[in-house]
Amino acid sequence: MNVNAPVLLSPVHAALLARNPVWSEAGVTPPAVLGFDGNDAQRAAAVGIADLSHLPRAGAKGPGTADWLAAMGLPVPLQPNSWNQLPDGGLIARLGLTEFLVEGDASITDTLMQTDRAAGVYPVLRQDASFALCGARVNELLLQTCNVDFRTLDAEPSKLILTSMAGVGVTILYTRTFTHPCYRLWCDGTYGLYLWDTLVGIAEELGGGCIGLNALR
Amino acid sequence: MKRLPPVAGEWIDRTREISFVFEGKSYRGHPGDSISSALLASGASMLGRSFKYHRPRSVLSMANHDINAMVQWAERPNVRADVTPLTDGMALTAVNTFGGLRADKASILGAFSRFLPVGFYYKSFYSKKLFPLWERMFRRLTGLGKVDFTAPHLCTAKCYGFCDVLVIGSGPSGLAAALAAADQGADVVVVDENARAGGSGGYARGADEVLAATHNDLLQRAESHSLVRIMTSTCAAGYYTDHWIPLVTADVMTKMRARSVIVASGAYEQPAVFRYNDLPGIMLASAAQRLIYRYAVSPMRRAVVLAANADGYRAALDLVAHGIEVAAVVDLRSVIGDGEAETAVIHQGIRIVLNACITEAVPASDGKGVAAAVVVPVTQPNEAIGLGREQIPCDGILMSVGWAPAGNLLYQAGTRMRYEKSLEQFVPDVLPAGVFACGRVNGVHSYAARLLDGQRAGSAAAAHAGFGIAMGVAVPNETECPTHSWPIIAHPKGKNFVDFDEDLQLKDFENAVQEGFDNIELMKRFSTVGMGPSQGKHSNMNALRILARLVGKEPQQVGTTTARPFFHPVPMSLLGGRGFTPERRTPLHSRHDALGAQWMPAGVWQRPEYYQVADKSRSDCIQGEVAAVRNGVGIIDVGTLGKLEVIGPQAAEFLERVYISRYANLKLGMTRYAVMCDETGVVIDDGVVGRLAEDHFYFTTTTSGAATIYRELSRLNTLWQLDCGIVNHTGAFAAVNLAGPRSREVLAGLTDADLSASAFPYLALREASVAGIPARLMRVGFVGEWGYEIHVPANQGAALWDALMQAGGGHGMRPFGVEAQRLLRLEKGHIIISQDTDGLTNPFDVGLDWALKMDKPFFVGQRSLRVIAQQPRKQKLVGFVLEPGYAGTVPLECHLVIHQGEMAGRVTSIAFSAAVGQTIGMAFVAPELAEVGNAISIRLSDGSQVPATVTRTPFFDPDNLKQKEAV
Repeated sequence: MNVNAPVLLSPVHAALLARNPVWSEAGVTPPAVLGFDGNDAQRAAAVGIADLSHLPRAGAKGPGTADWLAAMGLPVPLQPNSWNQLPDGGLIARLGLTEFLVEGDASITDTLMQTDRAAGVYPVLRQDASFALCGARVNELLLQTCNVDFRTLDAEPSKLILTSMAGVGVTILYTRTFTHPCYRLWCDGTYGLYLWDTLVGIAEELGGGCIGLNALR
Repeated sequence: MKRLPPVAGEWIDRTREISFVFEGKSYRGHPGDSISSALLASGASMLGRSFKYHRPRSVLSMANHDINAMVQWAERPNVRADVTPLTDGMALTAVNTFGGLRADKASILGAFSRFLPVGFYYKSFYSKKLFPLWERMFRRLTGLGKVDFTAPHLCTAKCYGFCDVLVIGSGPSGLAAALAAADQGADVVVVDENARAGGSGGYARGADEVLAATHNDLLQRAESHSLVRIMTSTCAAGYYTDHWIPLVTADVMTKMRARSVIVASGAYEQPAVFRYNDLPGIMLASAAQRLIYRYAVSPMRRAVVLAANADGYRAALDLVAHGIEVAAVVDLRSVIGDGEAETAVIHQGIRIVLNACITEAVPASDGKGVAAAVVVPVTQPNEAIGLGREQIPCDGILMSVGWAPAGNLLYQAGTRMRYEKSLEQFVPDVLPAGVFACGRVNGVHSYAARLLDGQRAGSAAAAHAGFGIAMGVAVPNETECPTHSWPIIAHPKGKNFVDFDEDLQLKDFENAVQEGFDNIELMKRFSTVGMGPSQGKHSNMNALRILARLVGKEPQQVGTTTARPFFHPVPMSLLGGRGFTPERRTPLHSRHDALGAQWMPAGVWQRPEYYQVADKSRSDCIQGEVAAVRNGVGIIDVGTLGKLEVIGPQAAEFLERVYISRYANLKLGMTRYAVMCDETGVVIDDGVVGRLAEDHFYFTTTTSGAATIYRELSRLNTLWQLDCGIVNHTGAFAAVNLAGPRSREVLAGLTDADLSASAFPYLALREASVAGIPARLMRVGFVGEWGYEIHVPANQGAALWDALMQAGGGHGMRPFGVEAQRLLRLEKGHIIISQDTDGLTNPFDVGLDWALKMDKPFFVGQRSLRVIAQQPRKQKLVGFVLEPGYAGTVPLECHLVIHQGEMAGRVTSIAFSAAVGQTIGMAFVAPELAEVGNAISIRLSDGSQVPATVTRTPFFDPDNLKQKEAV
């Protein structure tokens, strides 16, 4: 692929590009960053931030959405602000009473976005910036940017939090999907660069920084 | 003074020496020293000058409140020498001197003290004529330290913290509380402003080795408890609602949220008031104990201890245990307790003078130290009687006459305090939920009782936080009153200081009351008591006692002044901290950067103002972009527009209610201009509504309105409960406007969609593929040209832009910025909401009557607009032109329209239009001036006026021919 002009770009593509990343092979999904340099693992051990915006995702909201998703065989979380793992990886998150985010295999998300909507189902185009935060000092990073005690997520692993981080509305959950336990974060893509720069700046002060997927998994 | 032999538990590291400079002279100290302790250990006796009279001063408390021993350290003013750790290479000077510490020229002011009565500062400004003179003098004489405007900006982190139980103070009661709470399973944080934990347990020993061992064990248990985190050198600087406490260190402010808060902040030892009680060598007993046990510094060689409680006796024992002679313990009381300390003093043969006071200290020959204490018997309460006067030689006096609770945080939390006569102290009476107090601040003073009180509070706080059950702990009452009710000795010659920050003497209070300032708040402001850097920590209680006596009230009736955050000075760098300024950037941001975009903020967005072309001025660049759109084709990023969808059977009904026009009859695949009003009929937003399906609308809002309009519409739909849902896709879509006579040619090469005027007419909405990207296309004409607004998923925005730029290259396509767009739309007379409208503008004012469908059953603002429609217009937005060839200063937006010498309106938009050949603009004017052809006058900033003529809009292409196929 021509890494200088991929068709689909992460909201933080410019920031990634500036650090000479190693890209994944081109596929249907947008390219992902596998790594930056030889020090990804060290940064990940302190505070690592990986861009996962490339993962396919879909959204829907409305009073009929929970039933609609369940009818499609997805494990719909019963409680607002909670999430479930999808069988093939990925996740389904309930962002409120009637709003859902699905992230995972493109076959699932494409189906959701292309299926005729049912009554009370309003499709949401998800173009989030999405990051993973890991490392021994990740809690320090969170405490410098957000007034939520994320330690509570350790005790309630199916819980997710919608809050404000560094002034930006974010959705956060804690997952052990990867080798490194990490926090997953989603925000409006247009805030992505700002939030990425802010988080990476603080992470670097803490001895970490941006990492690629290889350091995460 | 000198360094003592090693003292068990001392904080200094004797294996290393560090050097520093104070007032130009080199000194040496040890790591672990504070600045003051190192200076005292090196033989310096005078550490600073007082604020008003520039009197020599030294250590008072060694407890972070020695405001007469503050130093300038490079760009940092007012560094508190008593607690600031010594670091190698420090270069320090005393603050508030004229010519240096030893030869401070301003010390002459002491001789004029009788001309500087209480309140003189206010009185001096009575004369308007002399005001400037006084102002200059006060500005020159006052102020502590020097602000260095070249000081580097310090980027400090701000941080949040969480715990179940926050314990403020790591003294005996605080540690006991922490352990009790942690033992019940709570996550406990203990904060202490000192460099090491332990509080008074570490120094108020009374030479009691057993007590020291007990305390060390307590400290070790707390430090090793897995659920206890101890933060030293950390000040709990205030209390905010819901147990939110800013914890301040040298580098960071942590906003700690706790489920329960235990205030174990102890008490401030209070000075006695007698003549010359401010001389170097006279200090609080606890200050001497801190010097001994923390820094191994001998505070003096021969001491007189002025006591009124067992703490004074313990201090005397500590002095003796470290080789310091105690000439006498002078006790204000007639009877002393039978406690261990008193008994030990008697057994050691230390002279005790009961029912006596120190009426004055005799200055040393150089005036910078103590030579003797003048002791006289007292009547009750504490009136010195001249008989039996005795002068006891000494080089230091310890004051141990009582305590004032460090209750600032309790007050801030809303605690109701009461004056407990048996303790002569304010104690918590009613505590807010989740706030607990223990130890001295709670009126519990003896060591064993403080441990019990801490256990009680810790257990209760943990229970409040959801851990365990509060256990009942019996805390014994104090066996003696720890505080004297009147440690104040009048002296006919004065200089008996009550407030060391402000050099306030006893007589100042008497005079203030005489002048009518007879309540605590008035007294504070008139006398400035408690308004210095220590904020009255050593003066407020004595001031309160004085006022109470002068007005014949009890302390409870006098009350205390208001305690406000912050409790302790917090550096501006920490208050500022790291700033977060969220910015939204469209998916095309990097493309604009590469093209030389000059950025401008648009609400929370960054948008290209224009694109810099080499060797071109800003104006030329903008005019070039405008010309490209008018004559060829241009492209602008409009991804900042709010992009919303409403879906559902009642979607049309919803839009009917929120916009002033009609949308139920909007045909599929068509768009319509949309104006939104608030309930007062004021125009708040506009955009375009497009119909994608019978039950599905896609619509835009203004850039600045994107977030707020979505919120408002969500609110309305919650109220109305219509069968539809609103989706905010503002960030999910990238959008560009391709505009100009050649726009269709550019687009045609990238899409299979039929772009003919018949298949894709003006205001049509189509879903098609552009450069292989699924897109929504709208034929709109904000800039007055044939054009297409193209919306695609954000992650494909850059690809769309690249394809369009490539396709447009052969057509001379240029990107254009916000400024060019502003001019283009101005030429068409199109308004921008919030530029050509304001918070009072209704649709009638700006010529949007045509969009109003008053016959609809309901829309937001309709009721108000019905009323407004019946009223005469107050203003009208009109177009105007300056005279052809006008070459003078061009008016600016918001310049006033003047008619017959009165304000008659204001300019909302103005720019030179090459297409029109004149400077054109829009302005609000009085209705009588709105007729086309009327002459108006616009006043410039310099007061001169520019003639203009009211003109019909659009200025350019009035018949919209450029948007029609025929062109």
